[in-house]
Amino acid sequence: MTISETNSPFIALSSISKAYRTRAISVPIFDNLDLSIEKGEFVAVMGPSGSGKSTLLNLLAGLDGPDSGDIKIAGQRLDHMGEAARSAWRAHHLGIVFQFYNLLPMLTAEENVELPLLLKPFPASIRRERVAKTLDLVGLCGFGRQNPSRLSGGQQQRVGIARAIVSDPTLLLCDEPTGDLDRASADEILTMLGYLNRELGKTIVMVTHDPEAAEAADRILHLDKGAFVERARVMS
Amino acid sequence: MTFLGLTRKSTLRKPFRVVLLIISVAVTFFIYGLTASFIAGSQGTAAASDELLGVMNAAGRNQPLPMAYLSRIAALPGVAEVSPIVRLRGSVGDARNVVAVSAGEPDKLKAVSGEELGLDPSMLQALDTGWDKVLVGRALAEAQGWTIGERFTVSSFRTKRSDGSRDWPFEIAGIFDGKSSSTDTYFVLAQYRYINEGRARGKDTVATFALRPEPGVAPQELAPRIDALFTNSAAPTRTLSEKQFLSAFLSQYADVKHVVTLVVSVCFVTLLMIVINTMVFALRERRFEIGVLKTLGFSRSCILMMVLAEALFVFLLGGSIGIGLAKLASLALPPALGLVFDQSVLLRATALVFLLGLFAGALPALSAMRTPILSAFRTR
Repeated sequence: MTISETNSPFIALSSISKAYRTRAISVPIFDNLDLSIEKGEFVAVMGPSGSGKSTLLNLLAGLDGPDSGDIKIAGQRLDHMGEAARSAWRAHHLGIVFQFYNLLPMLTAEENVELPLLLKPFPASIRRERVAKTLDLVGLCGFGRQNPSRLSGGQQQRVGIARAIVSDPTLLLCDEPTGDLDRASADEILTMLGYLNRELGKTIVMVTHDPEAAEAADRILHLDKGAFVERARVMS
Repeated sequence: MTFLGLTRKSTLRKPFRVVLLIISVAVTFFIYGLTASFIAGSQGTAAASDELLGVMNAAGRNQPLPMAYLSRIAALPGVAEVSPIVRLRGSVGDARNVVAVSAGEPDKLKAVSGEELGLDPSMLQALDTGWDKVLVGRALAEAQGWTIGERFTVSSFRTKRSDGSRDWPFEIAGIFDGKSSSTDTYFVLAQYRYINEGRARGKDTVATFALRPEPGVAPQELAPRIDALFTNSAAPTRTLSEKQFLSAFLSQYADVKHVVTLVVSVCFVTLLMIVINTMVFALRERRFEIGVLKTLGFSRSCILMMVLAEALFVFLLGGSIGIGLAKLASLALPPALGLVFDQSVLLRATALVFLLGLFAGALPALSAMRTPILSAFRTR
């Protein structure tokens, strides 16, 4: 799969409807939701609990499918892909940063970072080299052999970011990346995300509750009852 | 790190639990190795031939046949060689130290089963130097600590000598090794003339005629022709292959093979329940991590293979330990137990390790493969 270069937005959601159903009731989340994000944009998504932020992230990551509507990312229709194709798409084009890091406890920091590279046909030497460079990039040079449990929250999140970017994805989805961190660590993570966006051209979609974190983005989208309220802001 | 390394680390994340599982697998395959060795060895049936035939009295193995049958059987077309056999069971020293003696005519015995027993001309020459000279199987010689030239006396349970005594003195002229490790060598090979001349009763009778068909003659076709020769005689015969003969002998006491198979099956079923149960619980604890791996792009088939590999890892490690211990035990335990851990036992045990490993891993692997990512994340 290759990312096709077209004039259409990098991420295009059109007429997305999604509802969660139980036997008795159906809870609508989105009804005809549209969203466009350009390549290289850093977008923050805010909103109250239950507004659909996580659902939006799940749809963008191909972890969940819409009831109706199109999801096009880098020219590819995510909603038309089967599970195997979506797995392959995630492995090649997507990096995800979680709120609680989600590192595998039995692996060292560098082994956690190496995980996505196992899905690529790289020899071990190339994998090791990329892992070392990525850990260096996130400021964890020398921490590779540490077990995640021996690292601070901020360091663990940096390992999470390293794991997300090690395979050089075009899109980074961040789910409350600073939600579990103190202010200083959160600022470091936001600075890093800003660097990845500006210097490495990653398109970033970040879901957050934290208005200060959202300030790091180019654009802030407010989700409320399944609809967007957009506020333009000037980059500092 | 490789996929194998990831699998190894996932498997060993709870070392105590995995060690217990590996021990369970090891113990089961140890039991399997011993019982399979017992069946393979079961007093020589593994190495027993389908080609060699034994002619015995149709009324039972304890009833004799007249020696006069020898020439009639030998004259039958399709019979290459035939040897008379008489058996003598008794104890040496301690009454519990039971020894079996098979006596035949050396030249004929060599022609019939010399290859299987590993008899060479020098052994026969040594036998020829005295009527009381015997050849002793390697397993028996090692168990008794006997060497060539040593003398021993068998106190027979049933066969009396002409002078009323039950003691049969012998001198060891040679030790035979058998063709393979599974050949039964836990007996003494004596001379027919010594037993026949010395016994008080039953002179010129035999317990069995051992015979080898001519090349190209099917033993199963020859057997009924032999029995047909003596149908209307005073002592009708029953002709069986060596393997059938030994199996029939063993089944007089119990269907050992079925009992052992039953015991081993129960062990395996219990093992499978333990391993599957433990793995299902272990994977339930790791559902979240499986969700993470899937989010990173690990496909369903990849997850399936990883969990199967974890089960195989446990079975391969535990199985190797158990099979290895069984092999060592078969070498260390007294030959009288008749344990033969040969290649067929190893191959079957290895196949079982893979088969049970895959079977035990299948349910947890399918469950992990089918776990939806969002549902896995909800388990945190």
